[in-house]
Amino acid sequence: MHIAEGYLPPLHAAAWTVVAAPFVVHGARAVVRQVRADPDSKLLLGAAGAFSFVLSALKIPSVTGSSSHPTGVGLGAILFRPPVMALLGTIVLTFQALLLAHGGITTLGANAFSMAVVGPWTAYGVFVLVRALGGGLSVGVFLAAALANLATYSTTSVQLALAYPDAASGVLGAIVKFGSIFAITQIPLAVSEGLLTVLVVRLLRQVSLPELTRLGVFRRPAVSVKEA
Amino acid sequence: MQSLDTLAHTNPWRRRHPAEKAVLAFGLLGCAVALPPWPGALLVGAVALAALLGPVGLVPAALWRAMRAPLVFVAVGSLPLLVAVGGDPLVRFAPEGLGPAAGLAGRAVAALLCLILFAVTTPLSDTLPRLERVGVPPAVVEVAALVYRLLFLLLATASTVREAQARRLGFRTWATTYRCVAAQAGAIFVGAFDRARRLEQGLALRGYTGSLRVQVPSRPVSPAFLACSVGLVGAVVGCATVLG
Repeated sequence: MHIAEGYLPPLHAAAWTVVAAPFVVHGARAVVRQVRADPDSKLLLGAAGAFSFVLSALKIPSVTGSSSHPTGVGLGAILFRPPVMALLGTIVLTFQALLLAHGGITTLGANAFSMAVVGPWTAYGVFVLVRALGGGLSVGVFLAAALANLATYSTTSVQLALAYPDAASGVLGAIVKFGSIFAITQIPLAVSEGLLTVLVVRLLRQVSLPELTRLGVFRRPAVSVKEA
Repeated sequence: MQSLDTLAHTNPWRRRHPAEKAVLAFGLLGCAVALPPWPGALLVGAVALAALLGPVGLVPAALWRAMRAPLVFVAVGSLPLLVAVGGDPLVRFAPEGLGPAAGLAGRAVAALLCLILFAVTTPLSDTLPRLERVGVPPAVVEVAALVYRLLFLLLATASTVREAQARRLGFRTWATTYRCVAAQAGAIFVGAFDRARRLEQGLALRGYTGSLRVQVPSRPVSPAFLACSVGLVGAVVGCATVLG
């Protein structure tokens, strides 16, 4: 769920843009360096960005009976790494604002911080930690995707609570209010996204191992191919 | 999504320079966000709506389709302002929140109309190549342009795969639905990288040097349109100041 255009007061919108900017600039520099060293990787990055966009448009079933869309940040972070996802995520969010009217330009900084920074770093951190502790690939992928989804929406709740604190109990009360409303849909959705991401990674291992190897998903010792 | 992009390619302002439309839409957007909701949001919303339904020629049904999903967020996001937490009882209706909730919803709707005003008049294919001129690194612009070009192909792939799965009764249970959605994601991944590889090979055969620059049609900026836009934004600010 993106924060809609115009929802945040101007100071908050500007502040979140400033907070997200270093991560996005870092991602942009990483991409520029990568493209300079290997011009062909530009095409791969374009494919990765388009994949991230389309992934967030897939419909997954929710236990509330309706269907919803995955954030895709967990899978994106595992496949493409958080710095690259900071840039690709911001590009995707800009496209979603201008092609779907989801999110917005004034709220781009806040949405980028939750979906392109906090979500991917949470996913990547959890994935690496689980693998380092000897956890299986499926367990790591499930926890990474589910917790990234929850971290994204928890951050959104905090952003909204800071903008609109409760009259009686302040920011903490507002976090409880916004968090409770989003939790109804987001906790089941996080579980759904975790399960879906496990299935996707298993499928990709069967049909796209060369691409995953090129992306470095299974290269490092901490995330070896070994299935527990 | 394709309807917004299609509208952007077919509307009467299609041939105008993106900067002209950006000044109008983002000028109004700035007013919607910075001015007090009453009367700022009302004025901005009215101007943006008049522009969309008037010179831009957007039909109300298309506008409603574009606004439906963001309006759900605005509605859900405004509800917490009507509830107070803490004290006795712990959770209660807060009538004092009605004003702020209405102001917030009004501001968000006005801002959304401004965003749609830019989105349905300016194709991304016009905006992206010009981003280099405002300091965005060429590599980032080219990656964004590639994303734009590939995503329509991938969305079509996803739609075709989904239709084929539905015809094979792939969505009859939860388990089969999850398998089908995972297969869609897998097909999109494979398709995306296959496209990238084919692009790579095609460009290599054409002497690819690392630059994906495209010819950008020259479109002069209309001083009259710019002056009208600045005047309109100034009038909105003036009216809001007087009425507020």
